[in-house]
Amino acid sequence: MTPAAEASAPLERYTGTPKLMVPAFGLGALGLLATLAGFFASSDAYAKGAAAHSYLLAFVYWVGISVAFLIMVAIFHTAKAKWLIVLRRTMETGASAVPVFILLIIPVILMAGYLYPWWPGSPLRAAITGLESEHLSHKEHGYLNWKFTLVRHVIYFVVWAFAAWKLRGLSLKQDAEGGLDLTVRMRRFSPGILPFLALTITFASFDWLMSLTPLWQSTIFGVYYFAGSFLAAFCILTIATTNARGKDLYGNVVTPAHFHNLGKLMLAFTAFWAYIAFSQFMLVWIANIPEEAPWYGLRIFGAWKPMSIALFFGHFVLPFFVLLSRNLKLQPRKLSVVAVYLLAIHAVDLYWLIWPALTGTNGPTFHWTLITAFLGVGGIAVGFALMNARNNYTMPVKDPYIAESLRYVQP
Amino acid sequence: MEATVLDSWVLAEFETPDVLVDATRQMREKGFQGMDTYSPYPLHGGSEALGLPPSKVPFIALCGGLTGLTTALAMQTWMNTYDYPLNIGGRPLLSLPAWVPITFELSVLFAAFGIFFGLLGLSRLPQPYHPVFESDAFRTASTHGFWLSVPHATGQDAAAVIDQLKALGATQVTVVTGEKE
Repeated sequence: MTPAAEASAPLERYTGTPKLMVPAFGLGALGLLATLAGFFASSDAYAKGAAAHSYLLAFVYWVGISVAFLIMVAIFHTAKAKWLIVLRRTMETGASAVPVFILLIIPVILMAGYLYPWWPGSPLRAAITGLESEHLSHKEHGYLNWKFTLVRHVIYFVVWAFAAWKLRGLSLKQDAEGGLDLTVRMRRFSPGILPFLALTITFASFDWLMSLTPLWQSTIFGVYYFAGSFLAAFCILTIATTNARGKDLYGNVVTPAHFHNLGKLMLAFTAFWAYIAFSQFMLVWIANIPEEAPWYGLRIFGAWKPMSIALFFGHFVLPFFVLLSRNLKLQPRKLSVVAVYLLAIHAVDLYWLIWPALTGTNGPTFHWTLITAFLGVGGIAVGFALMNARNNYTMPVKDPYIAESLRYVQP
Repeated sequence: MEATVLDSWVLAEFETPDVLVDATRQMREKGFQGMDTYSPYPLHGGSEALGLPPSKVPFIALCGGLTGLTTALAMQTWMNTYDYPLNIGGRPLLSLPAWVPITFELSVLFAAFGIFFGLLGLSRLPQPYHPVFESDAFRTASTHGFWLSVPHATGQDAAAVIDQLKALGATQVTVVTGEKE
């Protein structure tokens, strides 16, 4: 069909997912096997550590985006926003990948000894001695012990899976039945679940990322992780919307005004990330107390210094000024290029959080499992999301406000 | 004589913003130039209908922001490293992270000044007198009326323009003449 005929044809349930889903699952399975083989087949402590840290990076990258999609849906319902309804199904699909991370967390737990000094039997514990060791024991007693950690993980995934299932379920039900009452239910549920989503992603980031250096603490850390993930979720939404052209896809009916808004949100959350990152850094810099300073000392001096400076320019200055342009935000293809760039720099940001815990003052290193783990977890997560999208409409066709969303013009 | 020192405008009132935008677009397509729209609140699609070039305000705002950025960095560098250096807890004198809040605030302030004064300047505001203020009916532009002004050669018959505006849905049309700005 010609593009014009596609745009005017009635929207049916989308059946074209397998051509993307099957390669995603295949790549994911291969990546996971390679990464786990890299961990279990090697006896070298660095290689084991590198595989574990690579896997953790990939895991927090993809689960963060999925939970960010969930928070995005809940926020837009809470705000009763109408312009984005045509994009909402893609957000719900992204959030629907959450349950697969219940399986994908298992390797993190298996490799936890090589990641977290507080994990029972960790070889990393020996490096922490004297008063610091006593201080860590104090933390382990109440919070950082494996039993309570597992309990917390159950809470995280129950909350996330429940919220994703509930919001997407009501939305899919509306595809069949229509009606305002389902919209009202989604809008009542969302503000109720938001505080729980905020708390769970905060504590999850403490457990996964902050406790790599268990003696360092920052209360804003959860917001930092959320800011990067939320930005990445908008980037994926932009790329998906740009490429969703063809039979039964919603990209045909999206207007430049929608892309303009996505671009504006990308700009806003680039600035938000920088604001949070700097707030965290400046408080540590000003206070300069021994408990907090070493985490940044490791990163802003010596071998990690170039990367920290590159992150400031690459994650904030460059995308901020590029996204200021109004013309760029109105051009889906160009905006998608920026989105791909931001997705890459988000991985660099997480590398900067995680890798110094492995190599310390030796600086950045590259290990092949970084690639395999990223593709492994990413392939499985994307494949699972596409599996959920299969045989469903690509937008909420019977939402009472869908017409307003399609007519949306610039305020 | 009059034609060289006096300006004229045909003013037309429309009932809704949509009719105004549509009429503006059609009048521009007929070749009328120098038109302007007036409405009590921002008009969706108004600039596009008038065929206005991209606004210069963002560029002025950027210049303002960069001025604020350099001013703040220069001021703090001069004060803290040269004019009154103080060693506080062994921190470096050139302590860039500590200067970011003031740099940020001054960038925002100067960018806001750029937007505010840039917009005033480009719109040639404040404007205490303009010939169209003589028209009493035009006062509804600040409450509920949607107006279009079309420049018109002073002294010539405006009947053709008036007819065209009425055909496009104008509820009332007047001609205003006054001194050139």
